[in-house]
Amino acid sequence: MAGVKPRNNRDSSRPKLIAVTVLMGLAWATLWVRAGYLQLVEGERLASMASRQHLAAEFEGGKRGRILDRNGRALAISVESQSVYARPLQVEDAARAAAKLSSILDLPARKIRHLLSSRTNFVWIERQVGDKVAARIKDAGLEGVYLTTEYSRFYPNKHLAGQLIGFVGLDGVGLEGVERRFEDRLKGRKAQFVAQRDASGRKLYLDAQGREMNLDGKDVTLTIDARIQASCEDALERTLREHGGRAATALVVDVPSGEILAWVDYPFFNPNTYRRSSPSRWRDRAALDAFEPGSTMKPFLYAAAVQEGVTDDSKLIDCEGGVYKINGQPIRDTHPRRWLSARNALRYSSNIGMAKIGMELGAPIFHRYLTDLGFGRRPALSLPGLGQGLLRPAAKWNQIDLAAASFGQGVGVTAVQMAQAYLCLGNFGVRKPLRVVHDPARVPEEDENGRRIYSEDVVRQVLGVMFEVVEREDGTGHEAYIPGLHIAGKTGTAQKASASGGYGDDHIASFAALIPAEKPELLVLAEVDSPVDKFYGGVVAAPAVKEMTLRTLAYLGRPAPSPGDAALAAGGETAESWRRKAVAAAPNAQSGKDGATPNLTGMQVRRAVEILAKNGIIPLIKGSGPLVARQTPEPGASLPDAKGVTLWLAQGQDRG
Amino acid sequence: MRSNVKSTALSRPTDYWLLGLALLFAGLGLVMVLSASGVMAERFYHDKYLFFRKQALYCACGVICMLVAARLPRVFFHRFAYLWLILSVGLLALTLTPLGLSAGGAARWLKLGPVSIQPLEFSKLALVFYLAYFFSQKQGMVKTFSVGFLPPFLVTGGLCLLLLHQPDFGGAVFLAALLFFMCLVGGTRFSYLLLALFVASVGAWRMIVSSPYRFKRLMAFLDPFETARDAGYQLVQSLYAFGSGRIFGAGLGAGKQKLFFLPEAHNDFIMAVLGEELGFVGVSALFIVLGLFLWRAFRIALRQEDLQDRLTAYGAALILTLGFFLNLAVVMGVAPPKGVPMPFVSYGGSSLVASFICVGVLLNLSREAA
Repeated sequence: MAGVKPRNNRDSSRPKLIAVTVLMGLAWATLWVRAGYLQLVEGERLASMASRQHLAAEFEGGKRGRILDRNGRALAISVESQSVYARPLQVEDAARAAAKLSSILDLPARKIRHLLSSRTNFVWIERQVGDKVAARIKDAGLEGVYLTTEYSRFYPNKHLAGQLIGFVGLDGVGLEGVERRFEDRLKGRKAQFVAQRDASGRKLYLDAQGREMNLDGKDVTLTIDARIQASCEDALERTLREHGGRAATALVVDVPSGEILAWVDYPFFNPNTYRRSSPSRWRDRAALDAFEPGSTMKPFLYAAAVQEGVTDDSKLIDCEGGVYKINGQPIRDTHPRRWLSARNALRYSSNIGMAKIGMELGAPIFHRYLTDLGFGRRPALSLPGLGQGLLRPAAKWNQIDLAAASFGQGVGVTAVQMAQAYLCLGNFGVRKPLRVVHDPARVPEEDENGRRIYSEDVVRQVLGVMFEVVEREDGTGHEAYIPGLHIAGKTGTAQKASASGGYGDDHIASFAALIPAEKPELLVLAEVDSPVDKFYGGVVAAPAVKEMTLRTLAYLGRPAPSPGDAALAAGGETAESWRRKAVAAAPNAQSGKDGATPNLTGMQVRRAVEILAKNGIIPLIKGSGPLVARQTPEPGASLPDAKGVTLWLAQGQDRG
Repeated sequence: MRSNVKSTALSRPTDYWLLGLALLFAGLGLVMVLSASGVMAERFYHDKYLFFRKQALYCACGVICMLVAARLPRVFFHRFAYLWLILSVGLLALTLTPLGLSAGGAARWLKLGPVSIQPLEFSKLALVFYLAYFFSQKQGMVKTFSVGFLPPFLVTGGLCLLLLHQPDFGGAVFLAALLFFMCLVGGTRFSYLLLALFVASVGAWRMIVSSPYRFKRLMAFLDPFETARDAGYQLVQSLYAFGSGRIFGAGLGAGKQKLFFLPEAHNDFIMAVLGEELGFVGVSALFIVLGLFLWRAFRIALRQEDLQDRLTAYGAALILTLGFFLNLAVVMGVAPPKGVPMPFVSYGGSSLVASFICVGVLLNLSREAA
């Protein structure tokens, strides 16, 4: 090594370099072979394993959207739960797995064994298990046994608006009501691929293009106000308790917007337990069931006749002393009269008077008015299975049919159709679509929006008569009278057609009210099927409508009577309404627009002062008590400068 | 055979084969980076072409560096070996200071203005230059322990220690492998090499055993499916992808595994995407190109008459070869994952530029045997 001989060394490096080159060549060949082995030999298995992880999406869907009331209260929500399933082909030791699962799930081992030994790719072991059980299954780490997230539907308010909301089946598909109608919007989506994003197992849901998906379904917001709904359900239930009856429906509608605030079907249906219920229970009667309305139809005939110039307020009609025969068929009045002005014929609800007006108007015209009002047609409402009632073509009407239709017999209408028609009166003759779904907003069809059917004057006349129906001591609807409140109402007492033909002893008692009569803001309508002890609409349905009206107004924070009015001084219902208002008004008040005085009445003083303080206002406080009874300026008026607001306090009652 | 040609073969032409194959690789890399990163870039950066454009820019830089390296007088890598070594030690040390850029718990990058570089890629070259210089200069005493053996091992050991501090276990292994193969050809005693191998094994073993987690991770490749949810996850996903390609592949861009299943799809595991999308047919084409490329590279080394030239060419070829093989071995599950990019194909500026410089050095040496 002493003599440096670079040449030799270089030469000694050459064979080594060749050796390394050969070595690298071998490595290169080995890797090529490995690639071939992976892709050609193992390829099929690896590809199927890879696709299996994509298939994880098979059972992973998003959460179903919620159903909310107009204030965002949850009416239907989905709750996450874990379900256990197995891929039997992957289970190595079925006996061991069955024993373990049996002890965790408390199910017979034989049954699980049977499931695990089936030659299928997938079996459910147990659905919707508790968190603890799920954790134990996970810890057990059994081969081929998996957990997946499922959602179960939960209706936190139990039977509240149960028939309207509907329900979903075990597999999560909406079967009735809003759940069914908005299935596509509510349902959770399924991903094409599920990728694990990080070590914590966070998942990423991707569509076929690899874009991330939000799997959760979208919410549906109804126009229903859960609080109004609850109190109306309460009121209707009490009516049924008092008078008996097979079923009942009620609707409360905000007249300017056509939005339905309450939609009551009795008997109630609790969608949480639909499996223990029956189709007759979850049947949405307000939407589906046609009934003969009776006198509540009369205002539409009267208005049509006045509109067409066939009659006017004071035209005298011979009411035949209570019995009038058409082609030998007798028509009777409950309160026999001889001569009545047309106006009074409506007010006293004379069948004979109405029949005569109807015959004078003629079938084609009357029928056209009824069709224009929406009778005999499916209401344009975002719900499944809406009934279209029964309105035969005018050509098939004979004189008797026309006469009967004039006082609301021989035609079938649903409660929703009735509400639709009264809404037209409430809007002074202009048709307005009813709405029960706030979001997604529905695009109204062309013919249903803004079409005028009656002139404003005609409607004012009709509302005037309806006002007397309630206001006057001898009005058929006086039971609905509320001191200080101007209500336009109409009673209906229809005989029910019996199964054997003709009319039986059962009645449908109904009442429709527009409040206030001068410029309706609220439409309240109730209908009771076969009340037992009494059957007049004015006796059975009118008090229910009165009750619902009071509560609704209280919740809306629009107490109709002006301060100092009789209503405030009166006890009874108004004290009750005060208490309710106190509970309810708070959420509404915040919606006061910028620059406008918020509605503070009924609110806790502290809360009211806080709200004002945010606007830089220190109110002047008068009286004592925890609640705000009155305020100046009125809600909605432009907000005055500091110190411009006065609050009068009052003693509230206990909420219990 | 050509030993006498020294004076006559004044100018052999540049190895255009090597140049063409390198450009082919880089072009393939651009296509694969676009395919592998498009979806991810769109989702996280709202720009499908982000990585593609950056890679194209790095490519341009790389080609310029390659041309410069091919034209530079050889003294730059013959005489300045210590300079490059000191520079790379300095850069590696800087990554441990606050200037270093941490990602995934390891500070392997240096942030220099708008770009961040990975000094490891350049320290490979520096080490090769140094070892080529050392073995050719100290050839007479290369068999001795203190002069021939200790210095290269101490130098490499120092670099490895810096890398382990980042920590970059894979990088340290890479440098150790470079040293091993350089020594093999450079003339170090076989017994010393075996001893070193033994000592290194014991050291590595102790280090691994001291951290069971690391051990588990390292050994996961033996049966990745056992730990498919944690340690073996990357590898399982890589195998799924590679195997799914089967004969003809899913088609360029149609791979599914890159949809967030396969981590680092555009980076260390880009070959899995290639396998899935181009199938065995495409992979075989790649292996043929790779074989030709390596043949040309080693041929250049074999043709060198001067020992330093030869060792330099050999080292440059070695950097690329080890990169190709280690990456492929990891992707195909025959070596533990350790973050070795695929030269030219994987996304990343430092690796791409360093690879181009290696080719530049080879082209430089191919021109004429000195």
